[in-house]
Amino acid sequence: MEPVKLTAKDYKTSVPIVWCPGCGDFGVLNAMQQAAAELQLPPENLMVVSGIGCSSRIAGYINSFGFNSIHGRALPIAAGAKLARPDMTVWAAGGDGDGYSIGTNHFVHTIRRNPDITYIVMDNHIYGLTKGQVSPTTPHGDVTKSTPQGNPERPLNPLALALELGATFIAQGFSGNVKHLRDLIVQATRHKGFALVNVKSPCVTFRGRQEFNVIRERGEYLDEKHDPSDWNQAHEVTQWTDKVPLGVIYKIEGVPTLEGVAEEARQKALERRSFESTTELIEVFR
Amino acid sequence: MQDVTLAIAGSGGDGVITAGDFIVQAAARKGLHAFMLKSYGPQIRGGESSARIRISDRPIYSQGDYVDFLVVFSWKDFNRFLDEIQLRKGAVVLYDEADSTPREEFPIDADLDIEYIPVPFKKMAAEEIKVPLTKNMVTLGVIAELLHLPLEAIKDAVMKKFGKRKPEAAQVNFQAIDLGKAWVNENLPQGTQVVLEAEGSGEPKLVMTGDDAVAYGAIHAGVKVFSGYPITPASPILEFLSKWLPHFGGAVVQTEDEIAAITYAIGASWAGKQAMTASSGPGIALKQEAFGLAAMAEIPLVVVNVQRVGPSTGIPSKSEQADLFQAVGGTHGDVPRVVLAPSDVEDNFQVAVEAFYIAEKYQIPVMILTDQFLGERSETVEAEVLFARKRVISRQLAKPSDLKDYKRYKLTDTGVSPMAIPGMAGGQHVISGLEHHEDGRPTSSGTLHQTMSEKRARKLPLIAEESGFVRIYGDDDAELAILAWGSSKGAVREAIEQAQELGIKVKAIVPQLIYPVPEKAFDAALKGVKRAVVVELSFGAQFYRYLRAYYDGLPDETHSYARSGANPLLVSEVFETIKKHAAELGMLREA
Repeated sequence: MEPVKLTAKDYKTSVPIVWCPGCGDFGVLNAMQQAAAELQLPPENLMVVSGIGCSSRIAGYINSFGFNSIHGRALPIAAGAKLARPDMTVWAAGGDGDGYSIGTNHFVHTIRRNPDITYIVMDNHIYGLTKGQVSPTTPHGDVTKSTPQGNPERPLNPLALALELGATFIAQGFSGNVKHLRDLIVQATRHKGFALVNVKSPCVTFRGRQEFNVIRERGEYLDEKHDPSDWNQAHEVTQWTDKVPLGVIYKIEGVPTLEGVAEEARQKALERRSFESTTELIEVFR
Repeated sequence: MQDVTLAIAGSGGDGVITAGDFIVQAAARKGLHAFMLKSYGPQIRGGESSARIRISDRPIYSQGDYVDFLVVFSWKDFNRFLDEIQLRKGAVVLYDEADSTPREEFPIDADLDIEYIPVPFKKMAAEEIKVPLTKNMVTLGVIAELLHLPLEAIKDAVMKKFGKRKPEAAQVNFQAIDLGKAWVNENLPQGTQVVLEAEGSGEPKLVMTGDDAVAYGAIHAGVKVFSGYPITPASPILEFLSKWLPHFGGAVVQTEDEIAAITYAIGASWAGKQAMTASSGPGIALKQEAFGLAAMAEIPLVVVNVQRVGPSTGIPSKSEQADLFQAVGGTHGDVPRVVLAPSDVEDNFQVAVEAFYIAEKYQIPVMILTDQFLGERSETVEAEVLFARKRVISRQLAKPSDLKDYKRYKLTDTGVSPMAIPGMAGGQHVISGLEHHEDGRPTSSGTLHQTMSEKRARKLPLIAEESGFVRIYGDDDAELAILAWGSSKGAVREAIEQAQELGIKVKAIVPQLIYPVPEKAFDAALKGVKRAVVVELSFGAQFYRYLRAYYDGLPDETHSYARSGANPLLVSEVFETIKKHAAELGMLREA
């Protein structure tokens, strides 16, 4: 019997969606469900971990083992899960406040460890769930509820940061182009190592519908002229100020993964010495 | 003497701790009971350090209040330990005759009748062995000869440390040890007043620190992922597991911070593997939010807190029992949790096993409250005792029948719901820190919040009735009881024995399970008790206040003996406390 082919519908759940009408995150959800179908991932082998924020609700909306955890901690939970179960596909997801503000330390160090997980950040340049405060990626000068005089701080550049830290896969998508985003998530999932997919996912409530138009106007899809294996080209792209790069910006293969290194350590340990049972370890205390 | 306490005080480069380790190992090989407490100043290298070692024929539970035998490399360094090293009347003090600071500058009470013996430790090492660093080995030879410790056992221990890698180093050390021994025979023909007459059982014992014991206990219980961040005095747990866990199919991550350390463990446990993290007070404070997540999402988790002096950075290298409130009350919300407290090194092993037993069985986070005094001390233990308590550790996983219309938080009589783990087809669901329906969907319903709070809390009375968590020492039918927890047990137990010798009927009640309160076991232990005294090293009397708040069965006359930590609890202060209360109860007849 032919196995039943999974479709995007198979990754839907009955959990009611709380997002505002028109929210960019709907596009990300669709892209993730379509990517899962494209990859034919058995739902029981998919783990989706998020933090806290509007976008982090996404863990409940994908038929998988979902974990809508606490603010900023999606990455260490996802990496811990992957370390324990390398046989699973692990996606982490969340917003810019979750990943680039309260969770920045984990963003930095997860990249260094390179677990084979995909991190999808719904970057909307605002704190939406708490109703409109400035975020780490809000443009300089923008008025928000917590910056009535305009944002005094310069925004963080997650793509450049990831590149500098040695991320092995960096891409940027747009929730207004689901098909393109789906392809990015598919590539990111197939990549062996930590994959960042930063998604421009507008918050229509606190930054207005025109955000979609801004990305449409300024978005520039990377074509064959861009070589993602070239660090210098990738770096240049991350420094664009007037255009928004969309596509795979950087990608290198062959960097050891967190769980791969752990497996190697186990093999080496067993070569040195193997124990019949844990009680035998008592010898080290004699 | 059958029970000797000796101390060595010097600075970092003197090899004080190494010498102490060898003495303890030699005693263990002879089948003696031994105990070593290390003490450091704040400097990483070159600062003062002391090793305090007690050796006896009988089981020992504390560090010994008074020092019988002291080795001083430098009076200046010794001076920094005045707080901790109290000499017994008639004690023997060996000191380096080449010390630049005359000992007269640090006068010790003349009434103590100390016997001072200048020894050319430094000179012998530098001029005869021609390796100044062997000073501690010369010292070892002197101590072994004076105490009548078997030189062979000490050499075995030296071989174990240097033998394979540096055989020439072992040989040089042997020469130094022999030189120390010869010096005693030539210069102190009459011997001294300190001779250890204990023979030992001849059955070699193991030597373990509490940190190693809790780490080994976790391996024995089946931990597969450990994530930790370096912190004094918990780092040895991270180091032990880094070395040994891969041999047992596990993995260790040194994370970027304390929060990542606990959340890695949560992720691993959610994925289906036993997981643990460890830290000390400041790090535990950082982990609290995630600890609450494990409670809300009902994820099995073991968190070790090797308590140190607080608040804030406190005294990182010293012990205190003042994290009890943060263990039972830390983090927001009504948090179902479990707090276990080991009371000696062997207990650190067993409590680690118990922690996994409870965490996995009840799908609840468990905090192990150990402390620096347990974690960093070395103690002789016996393998049979270590493995005596057996527990079957397993998580209630979803069966195929559960996976039809699967409900992760299904309401059950025990509060425990079958857990689906990744890879189980049909088991997909979402979990979160949000309040939820039975199937995991988030809710903001107050009615459901009440229902789910009740569900989670149903586990607690069952845990409180798990057996074997309350120990009683002394007279069963005593009217006077000491209530103590954790590392205070040692001094309390010895004080009880001393009081009994005086004819005072007294018992000690020491719970391994702190929260939930093992009420029935407490009720039984306190039956017939007229007066209880809660003894602890917490300035704020946290254990006393905790019992007052959480347990209704205390005797009307319940008193508190509490002081701040850093200096270990002394047998004598507990003994005096017992005597005082016994006198008030009319139990003490005038001699």
